[in-house]
Amino acid sequence: MATEGLVSLDLWTFIATIINLFIQMWLLKKFLFKPVHKVLEERKKLADQQIEDAKAAKAEADSIRAEYEKNMANATAKAAQIVTDAQKQAQKRADQIVQQAEQQASSMKAEAAADIAQEKKKAVNEVKDQIGGLAMDIAGKVVEKEIDPNDHRKLIDEFIDKVGEAS
Amino acid sequence: MDTTFTVEGPRVFFSIGPVTITETVIVTWIVMAIITITCIVLTRNMRVTNISKKQAIAEFLVETAEKFVRNNMGGGHRFDRMIPFVAALFSTSLISNLISLVGLRNPTADLSVEAAWAVVVFIMITAMKIKTNGLGGYLKGFTTPIVVMTPFNILSELATPVSMACRHFGNILSGIVIDGLIYWALGLANAALFGLIPGIVGKVLGELPILKIGLPAITGLYFDWFTGFMQAFIFCMLTVMYIYNASQAD
Repeated sequence: MATEGLVSLDLWTFIATIINLFIQMWLLKKFLFKPVHKVLEERKKLADQQIEDAKAAKAEADSIRAEYEKNMANATAKAAQIVTDAQKQAQKRADQIVQQAEQQASSMKAEAAADIAQEKKKAVNEVKDQIGGLAMDIAGKVVEKEIDPNDHRKLIDEFIDKVGEAS
Repeated sequence: MDTTFTVEGPRVFFSIGPVTITETVIVTWIVMAIITITCIVLTRNMRVTNISKKQAIAEFLVETAEKFVRNNMGGGHRFDRMIPFVAALFSTSLISNLISLVGLRNPTADLSVEAAWAVVVFIMITAMKIKTNGLGGYLKGFTTPIVVMTPFNILSELATPVSMACRHFGNILSGIVIDGLIYWALGLANAALFGLIPGIVGKVLGELPILKIGLPAITGLYFDWFTGFMQAFIFCMLTVMYIYNASQAD
């Protein structure tokens, strides 16, 4: 079989090599670079997506936390309000009860005083009547004459008043 | 046993009119097939997560090629279009240099191949220079620092592709020559050594290439593997550096 020179330039080999080099370049692009770049791109997208998701999750967690803290603060304020209200109400109620009790006591006292005054008046009147009757009887015995209560009313009253004053 | 040593050029398989199909072209096709099939195998069933070893290799190769081009061409993404070209150049050169390990003749031991690559690179360098400085600036560049230097500048410009081609070619060819010499010498030594045994035994042992086992594997580590990697790397390194330098305005 014929051979070429050891150090020689062959035009067709030269041309074929140039074409082959560019074919090889295209083949590498198609079968190595393109698929690998696609996967790398996808991986980058995935990583970006995960970072985005993480960011979104963090934002959501932050907002939930803020809301929770706000709710907690509200709840504390509300609780304090409730306690204050309850205390106020209790105080009010207590005051009311005391006041009522005082009122009741004073009214009872007044009633009792009125009762006493009435009883006293009644007793005085009874005594007055009795003393009047007695005085009449005594006067009758003394003058032997029936004293007509109607005629001597003035006299009797005067007497009783004097007795009352004396008593 | 052949007592003369010869190294032959690439065989010519057949010619169609003026078109000759040589051993170089055929082996280049084999090289291209190896590279392409490797790429297809490596990039099959690629996944985004939980990647296989194959995919890791494919991604490593792509990232290495990108890093190589970007690091040596200014660090940016400006020359990303060069990446597949440099990758093609490197892979073809490397596999062509190493294919002698399976007994085929290196396509890179044919000056036509390196000349073709060097001319392509030279055209790219020149195009880049004209794009950077304009045609006038490019032509004016030959007259610096003084007009008298013009012939030397033209020579030095032409020396770039010539030196690139010859460096690569010379290294690979010398590898072939030295490998051939070692095999040839070991064959002779084998025949001489076992020829000392008298009778048919010596004759049979003398014909068996016993001494050829071992030593060529060790020398091949340098002449095939190291030189193969080195020359492919140097050629690509020079390519990217020359093109990058051409893109910098004078």
